[in-house]
Amino acid sequence: MQTSEEKRGSAVFSFDVNSLRSRLADVIKRHVSADTFRWLEEKASRINGGNTQDFMMAFGAAPRKTGKQPVVLSDAEKAEILRIRPNLAITHWTIDRLSRVWLLMHLDATKQDEYVRTIETMFPTAEMSEQVALYSSLPLLAYPALWRSRCAEGIRSNIADVLESIMCDNPFPAENLDEPAWNQLVLKAIFTEKPIHRIVGLDERANQQLANTLSDYAHERWAAHRAVHPMLWRCVARFINEKIFPDIRRIALSERASEREAAALACAQSAYAPARDLLEKNTELQAIVKSGMTWNDLAKKLEKNP
Amino acid sequence: MCCSHDLTEKDLQPRVEIPLYLESIKGMKFFDPHVHMTSRTTDDYQAMADAGVVALIEPAFWLGQPRTGVATFKDYYSSLIGWERFRSSQFGIKHYCTIGLNSREANNEALAEQVMEILPLFIYKEGVVGVGEIGFDDQTAAEEKYYRLQLLLAKEASLPVQIHTPHRDKKRGTQRSMDIAIDCGLDPGFVIVDHNNEETVEEVLDRGFWAAFTIYPFTKMGNERMVEVVKKYGAERIMINSAADWGISDPLAVPKTAALMKQHGIPDETIHLVTYKNAITAFGQSGQLNEADFAAAQQIDQSLKFQGNTVLRGGQQPRINKDSLIIR
Repeated sequence: MQTSEEKRGSAVFSFDVNSLRSRLADVIKRHVSADTFRWLEEKASRINGGNTQDFMMAFGAAPRKTGKQPVVLSDAEKAEILRIRPNLAITHWTIDRLSRVWLLMHLDATKQDEYVRTIETMFPTAEMSEQVALYSSLPLLAYPALWRSRCAEGIRSNIADVLESIMCDNPFPAENLDEPAWNQLVLKAIFTEKPIHRIVGLDERANQQLANTLSDYAHERWAAHRAVHPMLWRCVARFINEKIFPDIRRIALSERASEREAAALACAQSAYAPARDLLEKNTELQAIVKSGMTWNDLAKKLEKNP
Repeated sequence: MCCSHDLTEKDLQPRVEIPLYLESIKGMKFFDPHVHMTSRTTDDYQAMADAGVVALIEPAFWLGQPRTGVATFKDYYSSLIGWERFRSSQFGIKHYCTIGLNSREANNEALAEQVMEILPLFIYKEGVVGVGEIGFDDQTAAEEKYYRLQLLLAKEASLPVQIHTPHRDKKRGTQRSMDIAIDCGLDPGFVIVDHNNEETVEEVLDRGFWAAFTIYPFTKMGNERMVEVVKKYGAERIMINSAADWGISDPLAVPKTAALMKQHGIPDETIHLVTYKNAITAFGQSGQLNEADFAAAQQIDQSLKFQGNTVLRGGQQPRINKDSLIIR
């Protein structure tokens, strides 16, 4: 049973923080020694004792205790985590990242100002893997709306792992960013060659403005005789219009199979008549669509053989 | 992924024509335990990687101009564990650092007090392999005060200490630095006394400290002198660094000195100890330095070779031909 205080505390979270915390504790316990788990528990229990420096030092020192091995989850655990916190996948996390996020989940969220201030002060002094943990924690923090500008700031980073922690498998941006910030995330992910199929909400949040910008970006690359990543067209597909359609015609004739595949998938998602027409008349594109290929299949194929 | 598919494996390979001295040390690995990469360019990183430098330590130091507020210290320390570490990884070089308040700026006591407050936040961070570089410049009372406080901080955190010894009045300054370290209860085996010369080395070694030598033109050791020092004292507890910074200095000082030692017939095992292994042993006592991590930093290209030209996946920078007139 939750105490009334816990109930009040969890009201500021968008999900059941207490059950997720205990599920994650089970996962951590399996990955670390009994001593380390006791150390984590002790640090977690003292987090709200008013000594924030002690908490910050524990947050920093965590990998010394936990090591950095990858987290291994059973299918049941993955499903349970998804049930409690939709769209959250921690399969690419390491144990130090999970332990740090878990520690953060113990901060008392009832006093909004103090809670936000404590976490905000951690960002400027964080080293790379701390930044990764901090940005990974965004979807698990209370007061989601208050972390929007922090998230947008993170997207300005040039450190690959930090960007990936925001862009990949993280439901926070899709749930909270406004359109300009969201578009910036997608554009930068493509620009820095991140696996964009791991962006949560990529299809749902696609929009005309983003499609136009991506088309411009493709033209820039072509003008410089550089290749355009085929997955880019996934964000464009539903917004093909008379301005964008020539791009699709161009990649439909590409020498690269992956570009022709992208053209087929894009046309199949488009309601624009000339795009439907192109699909109908081009037997190769049709065959690609009929084969049941998805954007994720294309992404995986490209990962293996860029 | 594939946006850089114009690049080929060849673009990522080390350059083909290499200076003669590098030929003789081909295949050797080096560790530079004192180099201020913040003040260096990407050309230096590439040259270091080419010459076999696989890992380095960047001590916190004086940036050439006094800082006026604690926020710039905080940003500087953050950059050592953040951006600079990432930048280094792009060249396959594993980057560690030591964190401390340098002796010069210890003289601004009002500021030093505030810096001392933020130091504990940084010294427990990942990849921080010691407290440094600390010690004496002018040998003032304020310098001694913050030197002592930081020695205690290092002791509390079980971290090695990297001591900067002064340019002026070096011998006395070095002795005093060691006396104070002992007085504060530090184990000499945890203390690396830096910028030694022929005058200081004997006492440093006799008292059980590590003796680091900085190969730096004009103001510190030249590498011919270094060869003589190694001939005389052997390899035990001796290490070489470049301390390259914003002054006229040489980030290739460690590999160049290795080549010179080879030329003078110093055995490979001795060279290996003073240009690689000893520093790892000394700073490895932090628990934050692991030789296996150097290989991980370099695996970036291993995986590239394996998976094709996914150049930027690990954040590694493609190599460009600097002699070419054309820039693409």
